[in-house]
Amino acid sequence: MIYQLQVPGPVPDVEEVRILEWHGEVGRAFEPGELVVELETHKAIVEVRASKISVLRDILCAEGDWQKIGAALALFSDEPDEPIPDDAEQLTAMLVDFEIT
Amino acid sequence: MTLSDETAAATKIFFREAIIRALQEEMQADPKLTLLGQDIGAFGGSYREFDGLFDAFGAERVRDMPVAEAAMVGIGVGAAAAGMRTLVSITYMDFLMLALDPLVNYAAKLRFKTAGQLRAPVVVKTTAGAKGQGVAHSQCIEAWLMAVPGLKVVAPSTPADAYGLLKTALREEGPVVYIDHKRLFPTAGHVPVKAACIPFGQALHVRSGSDVTLVSFSYMMTPTLQAAERLNAQGVSCDVIDLRSLAPLDMATICTSVKKTGVMVTVEEGQLTCGVGSEISFRLREMLDGVKIARIGAVAAPVSSNRVLEAASLPDADKIVTCVLTLLNGKGG
Repeated sequence: MIYQLQVPGPVPDVEEVRILEWHGEVGRAFEPGELVVELETHKAIVEVRASKISVLRDILCAEGDWQKIGAALALFSDEPDEPIPDDAEQLTAMLVDFEIT
Repeated sequence: MTLSDETAAATKIFFREAIIRALQEEMQADPKLTLLGQDIGAFGGSYREFDGLFDAFGAERVRDMPVAEAAMVGIGVGAAAAGMRTLVSITYMDFLMLALDPLVNYAAKLRFKTAGQLRAPVVVKTTAGAKGQGVAHSQCIEAWLMAVPGLKVVAPSTPADAYGLLKTALREEGPVVYIDHKRLFPTAGHVPVKAACIPFGQALHVRSGSDVTLVSFSYMMTPTLQAAERLNAQGVSCDVIDLRSLAPLDMATICTSVKKTGVMVTVEEGQLTCGVGSEISFRLREMLDGVKIARIGAVAAPVSSNRVLEAASLPDADKIVTCVLTLLNGKGG
């Protein structure tokens, strides 16, 4: 199955984050608990971690880009070779763990 | 000045980063500029708006101070009068009350008292406004400060204005109170890539319209612009002005707009009595006849720490829309 990684929330007061760092390139498989991406708010870092085994398929926001809470950051899949549908915007949201530090 | 002039070749940053950039540039340009404040050193400031400056410029120029506002501003004013340039950070504007004596009686009067021989180039940077922190951490007392001869007062609503106004403040020859609003810190916006100051006394015309002039500043620009959008959907076209600078006031920009619309509504978060809107309204009456005017501000009560009561006491888009429609329908004015 293909999933969409979205900017997790809610984060108090925050509508928009800046992408600080991706921890892996397209094709990398993440184990549950592994850090996927760090997002910057006005005063904190949001650490987004995989909640199950998943493969990073496409990065939609580069480091330094801005994105709203709930909007798409990347595409993931259960298997490395599953085809990505054209209507990627309609995909199921990927469940993630996130921590604000 | 229009908005489009200011958004050319810009990069998007957080509000606090605009402040850091202004401080960095001005500290590099002027080795005499020293910062004084609580938690502004290694901690980086309550809103992280001093992040990195302690590492870049050291403890001599980024000085942590005790919880003693009168002493902080007193030292800042004295050092400025003695030939330095200082920025004193008073985290909450409420506590600037403790430091009004050095600011009002010494800094603002110094040039007059010494026939221009002494100046106090000091910036008091502070944070105003309600955000769930109750009676003594929420106030907007900028109108008190506007009444002090010799004191300049500015209050940005965007990162670009924060950057440009703070740079100008740090080049002034006399005291300036530079006011951020707590609710602006989570915001981000485009700031010009090229270093540039924003002159004091120049309001920004942020939206063009023909039926009513809305005048506001600082965080109140957010509900004001929301109200303008909603009024537009109801067929009421709003001309919106962001003051940016409260002392000096850009009455010319307001006057030009109200000549076109004939109706003005001011929006502020502070008290209406002797407020920013009162001052603007009277000056406008001196310049133009037959204008309909209304003011919007906080109810005459301390700001509650109860969020429902806090919201009820402050202006919002609903109250602005209602006020404008009432005024246009012929009541008030």
